[in-house]
Parts: sequence; C-alpha cells; structure tokens
Amino acid sequence: MAICTPLNSSTYSSIIPQQNHHDAAVSFARRACWRATSSHRPRRGFTVITCASSDAGTVVIGLAADSGCGAAEPPKGGNPDSNTLISDTTTVICLDDYHSLDRTGRKEKGVTALDPKANDFDLMYDQVKALKSGVAVEKPIYNHVTGLLDPAEVIKPPKILVIEGLHPMFDERVRKLLDFSIYLDISNEVKFAWKIQRDMAERGHSLESIKASIEARKPDFDAYIDPQKQYADAVIEVLPTTLIPDDNEGKVLRVRLIMKEGVKFFNPVYLFDEGSTISWIPCGRKLTCSYPGIKFTYGPDTYFGQEVSVLEMDGQFDRLDELIYVESHLSNLSTKFYGEVTQQMLKHADFPGSNNGTGLFQTIVGLKIRDLFEQLVASKAKSPVEAKA
Amino acid sequence: MAAPDQIQSNVEESIKGAEEACAEDPASGECVAAWDEVEELSAAASHARDKQKVSDPLETYCKDNPETDECRTYDN
Repeated sequence: MAICTPLNSSTYSSIIPQQNHHDAAVSFARRACWRATSSHRPRRGFTVITCASSDAGTVVIGLAADSGCGAAEPPKGGNPDSNTLISDTTTVICLDDYHSLDRTGRKEKGVTALDPKANDFDLMYDQVKALKSGVAVEKPIYNHVTGLLDPAEVIKPPKILVIEGLHPMFDERVRKLLDFSIYLDISNEVKFAWKIQRDMAERGHSLESIKASIEARKPDFDAYIDPQKQYADAVIEVLPTTLIPDDNEGKVLRVRLIMKEGVKFFNPVYLFDEGSTISWIPCGRKLTCSYPGIKFTYGPDTYFGQEVSVLEMDGQFDRLDELIYVESHLSNLSTKFYGEVTQQMLKHADFPGSNNGTGLFQTIVGLKIRDLFEQLVASKAKSPVEAKA
Repeated sequence: MAAPDQIQSNVEESIKGAEEACAEDPASGECVAAWDEVEELSAAASHARDKQKVSDPLETYCKDNPETDECRTYDN
C-alpha cells in the first residue's frame, strides 16, 4: 500500500533549461530531468495527488564530473541561491552542498574543493540514505556566488534522485546506495579548449592563467576525482577528434560511451551485432554528410579489469536525417518509439553537444535511466510490499 | 560578453591573488587553493553570463508546446 499525500501543483517547479556552455555535466542532468519526467505535467490550478516514493523506493543516480553545478532555476518563491533542480519525478542535488569547508575555510587550510577534507561524506551518506528510504531531509546549501554555506532547505524524497558533482562515487557507503552511476571523463586537451572558450572573455584571464588553474588542480583531480571512473556503470569519455588532423579547438569531438556489462536492469546499446567489433561510417550512398563526417565504432573491451561494451562516435551531426539514420541502426536504445532519441536531441538543440556524441550519449543514457527506473518499479511491484504504518 | 561587473572583478582579483600566492611557493596548499578559487569564480561568472542572455519567451513556450497554433512551423 503506497502512502499518498495530496500536493498542490504549485510545489512543482518548472525547469527552464538554462544554457551552460561547457558544463556538460549540468546539461546532462537537465537532459536526465527531461528524459525522466513523464510527458504529462500537472496543469496549473489543479491539485495533484502524488504518492511518496515509498511504494517503489527512490532510484538514486550518481553523476560525476569536474564542473561546478549550474545555477538552477529555483522553485517559484523558493531560494534563488538553491542549487537543487526539481521536476515532477526527478530531483537533482548538487554535491557542493556537502562542502564542510566554505571558500574561506578552504583558503585558510590550503585545500581545494576536490579534496575529500573539504567535504562531509558522513552527511552526504546519511541524507542520500534517508531520501532513498523515503524520508525528507534538510540539506545545506553551498552558495557559489558568496562561497558560503547557506541555511538548509527541505528536500522531499523524489522518484528519481540524481546526485551530481565531484564525489558521488568517492565514499563507499554512498556508492552502495547508487542504482546507477555515470562518470563524465573529459580529456585534458578538450578540457583546456573548453575552458579557453569559457574564460577568454573574462577580464583578467589569459591563456597562462587558464593553464595555471588547470595544472594547479590536476594533482587533486587525479588523486580524488579521476579514480571514481572505475566504479561507474557508464563512462562518457570525451576526446579530440581523429577526423581532423591537428584540431585543437575542441569543436569536433570523439566521444566514447563505455558501458559496464552485467549491471542489473542495464542493457548496453549496440551496433548491428551485440558482442562483435564494428566500424561504421554511415555517410555514403544513402546518406550525405558534410565535412568532417561521422564515424562509429562498437565493440567489447575491458576497462579497469571489467567487461565493458564501448560505443564510439567521432564527428558531428549536421542534419536531422543524419540523426535519424544513425538512430535506426542502433539497438537496445530503450526508446518507447522510433525516433525518440532524435526527438529528444532536437528538443534540446540549443544545449552544447547536441550535434555530437556528447549529446547523443547523454540522451541515450537518459533513456537507459528511465528504463532502469521502470524495471526497478516493476520488479518491486512483483515482490510483496510491506504496508507502512 | 563579460559577466556582471561584481563577479568579473572577483575573478580578476582571484587571479591576481593566485599569481601572488604561487609566486612565493608554487607547491603550497595556498597556491593550489587559490587557483581552485579562480576556477570556481570563473564557472560562476560563466553561469552569470549565460543567465544574462535574453531568452525569447515565445521560444521558451514553443519548446514545451510545439503543437499549439502559434508554434507550428510549415516547411513548404
């Protein structure tokens, strides 16, 4: 028996997709929000009866990336400094909220935000555990503008909880709570190119300062953040393209979707023949592509000693028909209808990466998460559910 | 387009601070923490810049409701 509470539709916030160039992790989280919500939003003025997630439990997704969380559009009348994104089925928590040291504190101690010493993993574990079991929490807010820790906000347990930030898979206890985890692995060259694009307009920044900032953070990044990728169920690796010699602008990308085998409720996407090795250039007689074209590879591999399947896309989409052509040749996409991947990508055509592998794979992973959620709900419905007092 | 002035001057100051801290000892925690602060402020500046971009209310509406009359597009 599920516990249902009537909630006014005004408690639902609408998400307005923000453009955060180069915060690929944020754009993924927003795609995940869109993907995970049903196509029906409660209409204004209606009272919506919602069931607390205690019937199926909350599905927890971890998303790791080296970028601060985007400034979310807060709930109407809510805290404008909140980092939390809320839609009807999904809540995205920014793990910066679990900083134990604020900006001044970190400066005094001489530690970066990447250092575990600056983060309260006990609190992170307690709160994620509480939300997963259907209990609301009072979560601190880290204010990215002031660098201070603001008073806590109440977070209610959602159907899907995404924890996004630097350390979702760092603490073993938190790792065990995750139903699915993703690591966004940006290569150094691409990271440098993106940061140049992001920061060159900023007064005070120069090529040297951008480079110095990346290099100063690298030791902590390599020690604390990068090792998390071995635990991820899916890794999205972003590399420079091989199609254009000496391309260092980071505009055309080679993106690899590394999918762990044997993860419950997760069936890796494949090309043509599952488990075989394929190299595919869709451009030819049936499909005309513009320079530099598109190249796909797919095959089994090992990643940190684990069996994985890797789907790789190098190049970019120029037209709608290229997208749909590619989609029609991929299998195990977990789409509900033909063309759903293309539709989702077109819907977010203004998001960065919508014309290359980053957008494509983020979209696919979003669909996989939806599929995982539905399978989990179905499996829990089959087993007897205890009535909660 | 540069970020709002306050955030922009924060970024500028933090860069100067980082360069000073690292001039003394490039391997120190202060130096590393200073550049981390630069990164954090640069990201905040980038978000502020994005927020400033004027969004067309019709575009936003049509994204969510492409089937409504005002949002229909015709290709021929």
